[in-house]
Formats: sequence, C-alpha cells, structure tokens
Amino acid sequence: MHDRRSLAGLAVLLGLLIATPAEAHKLKVFATAEGGVVSGYAYFFGGGRAMETRVTVTDPRGRTLIELRTDAEGTFRFDTKQRQDYRITVDSGDGHVTSTTISAADLPEPSVMADVADMTLRPKVAEAAVVPPPAEPEPPMTAPDVATLVEAAIAHQIRPLREQVDAWNDRILVHDVLGGLGYILGLAGLAYGLTARRRTKAGPDAGGG
Amino acid sequence: MHIADGVLSTPLLAAGAAVAVIGCGLGLRRIAPERIPQVALVSSVLFVAALVHFPVGPSSVHLVLSGLAGVMLGWAAFPAIVVALLLQAVMFGFGGLTVLGVNAVNMAVPAVLCGLLFEAVRRRGNHRLTLVAAAAAGGGSVLLGALLTTLSIRLGAPQFGDSVWLVVATALPVAVVEAVFTAAAVGLMLKVRPEALEAPQLVFSHA
Repeated sequence: MHDRRSLAGLAVLLGLLIATPAEAHKLKVFATAEGGVVSGYAYFFGGGRAMETRVTVTDPRGRTLIELRTDAEGTFRFDTKQRQDYRITVDSGDGHVTSTTISAADLPEPSVMADVADMTLRPKVAEAAVVPPPAEPEPPMTAPDVATLVEAAIAHQIRPLREQVDAWNDRILVHDVLGGLGYILGLAGLAYGLTARRRTKAGPDAGGG
Repeated sequence: MHIADGVLSTPLLAAGAAVAVIGCGLGLRRIAPERIPQVALVSSVLFVAALVHFPVGPSSVHLVLSGLAGVMLGWAAFPAIVVALLLQAVMFGFGGLTVLGVNAVNMAVPAVLCGLLFEAVRRRGNHRLTLVAAAAAGGGSVLLGALLTTLSIRLGAPQFGDSVWLVVATALPVAVVEAVFTAAAVGLMLKVRPEALEAPQLVFSHA
C-alpha cells in the first residue's frame, strides 16, 4: 500500500513538474569589432542560437551603457562611442550567463570612429581600400583615412577566423574527458586506500568508510 | 542543471555549499569499501553523460542521469555527483566552482530522494513494479532537479528570473529519455547483477 502511495505521489509530482524548465548547457557569446561597430551572437554549447536574449553592455567601471536583446538569429550589434573596453554580458534568464570583452585596442581612434561606423556598414567602401585607387580620385585620401579603411577591411576579413578560434576553444577534447575519468579513478583509489587503512587499524570486522 | 558562476546571490551559494558538504559527508559514511568502484563508475558515467547532447527544437539538451545515480547509489549519489560536477566545471567549463554546491544539491537531492523511493519499491521484489519505479526515478529526478534549479534562480537571482518558466519543454524530453534509460539499465542489472542494486549503503550505516 505504502509503495503504491509513493508511486502515486511520484506521478503527481511528475505532473506538477511538467511545467518546469531544465537545461543545462553552456551559454556562449561571440563578439567582434569592425571599425566602431560591435557585432556578435549568443549561442548555446552544442547547438542553438540564444534568441530574444538580454544583452547588457557595460564599461570597465561596471556602468551599464546599452541594453539590448538578440534577434531571432541570436545576433546583436551596437555602435561604440568611445575607445574603451566594452564588456558584453548575455543572460538567457534561466541561470546561464556569460560575458566577453571587446578591448579598446580593437576599436579605432575616436576621431575616425563615426566614419568607420559608416564604412563597415557598407563593405564595398572597405573593399575599395584594397583595390588601387582609380586614376583620378576626387579628394586624395589622407593617411588616417587609409589606415582606418585597412583596419576595417582586416577586421572584416579576420572575423571568420575569430569565430573559428572561438569554436576551437569550445571543443571538448578527448584528453579532457580522459583526464576527468582519470581523476575519478584516482579519487576512488584514494578512498579505497584510506578506508583500507582505517579497516586495518580498527580490525577486520569494523567495516568501511 | 548547470547554473553559471555569477548568477546567484552569496547567501544561496553558501547554503548550497553547506548542504552539499553535509550530503557528501552522509554519503561518504555510507559507502562500504567494496562499493567504492561502483560509486566511481557511476560518477564517471555522470561526468560523461553531460556531453551527450541531443537536439530539442531550436536548442539542445544533455543527459543528466541523476536518477540512475540515486537508484544505484542511494546516499552515495551525493559524493558521486559532486565529483562529476566538479570535474565538469574544471574540464569543460559547465557551471562553475562557486556555484558547485547549489548545482550539486539541485541534482543530488532528487537523486537521493528517488533512490530511496526506488529502494522501497525494489525490496518488495515485484519485477515489473521495480522497473516502473526505476523509470519514475529516472524521469522524476530530472524534473525535480529542474524544479530545484528554477527555485534556486528564483531565490538567488530574482532579476534573472524572467524567462525561467519558458524553458518548460526542454526538461521533458530529457526526463522521458532518462526514464526509459534508467528502467532499461535497472532491468539489465536485475538480470545480470542484481546485487549491484542491493545498495547496502542504504541499510548499514558505517557512522
């Protein structure tokens, strides 16, 4: 009788718990700066982009600068106003939080910030920097202009590389798994050794740990 | 069941750590030396299980197997889970070190609870009822764990709670998979090695 009741209790519990969340995978964020524009996306370890997820951008002192949400593809994008570190925190609302920092070094000088923001939105302009300038360019390009364009073009080009490096870092390698299993084996051996010592001290009938 | 570092408030983290230490102590005192390999084996399985992802809708979920741990280990599931979570945090970056106690409690309390309920049913000796209990333990501990995780976030980080109830659907497939898995594992053990389920650590206290 008692068991049947506990089973019924379990069934009721199951019913109640159907309305609960779980999982339980790591949230990740990728972000990169192209010119003055920071763009990126939030995703879950092992699949799925984090859609409609809160993104908070803070400065090095922890003040909130921008609050936004990821779109249906999990991506976000914002303009930077100053050359400083931007800390991007993504919070999926179910206990998963992660953050990444765009360092000041990845952002252009403040004087050209606005121009670059414009240019990166129009990649054709950026490409123009690589192609030799036409025979009669209307206004001759100044050195800072060229530097900015080159920087923007490079940022654009290395973005896939950065994504790849990020994905590479996420990989769980066989040796991580084997290492963990080794630790467990070691702990078990330790536990066994300790209990064995106690057993021999207390006599053969004393039982274990 | 991996809440990340930096989400929960300090009092909750401290409480979780305290409960985890107590649970570990209780569990360790109940492990007979000849059971240590079994505890280690289950701990290894738990450690690896979280790597088994399967897609659910736009997202993906992973196995928890806390029910199996409870069924096979009873109280000893506590230290087994703590070790598995610790290594997952260190090796894979799942969860985190400060939040280890809370995560362990969220997983181990349902495991022990379901393990004890299973043990009560198993002792009656009815094969079919035992399998049903194993399935219930497998699924129930996942769902109970999800509930505790939700509660932790509600209590320890109310500002994060806005979409906590929206992840509803994701726990359910895991619970179903683990219910089937646990019942199958228990069925196999009953046939091949019934003493593996006899859980002497539930009967004798070595305290």
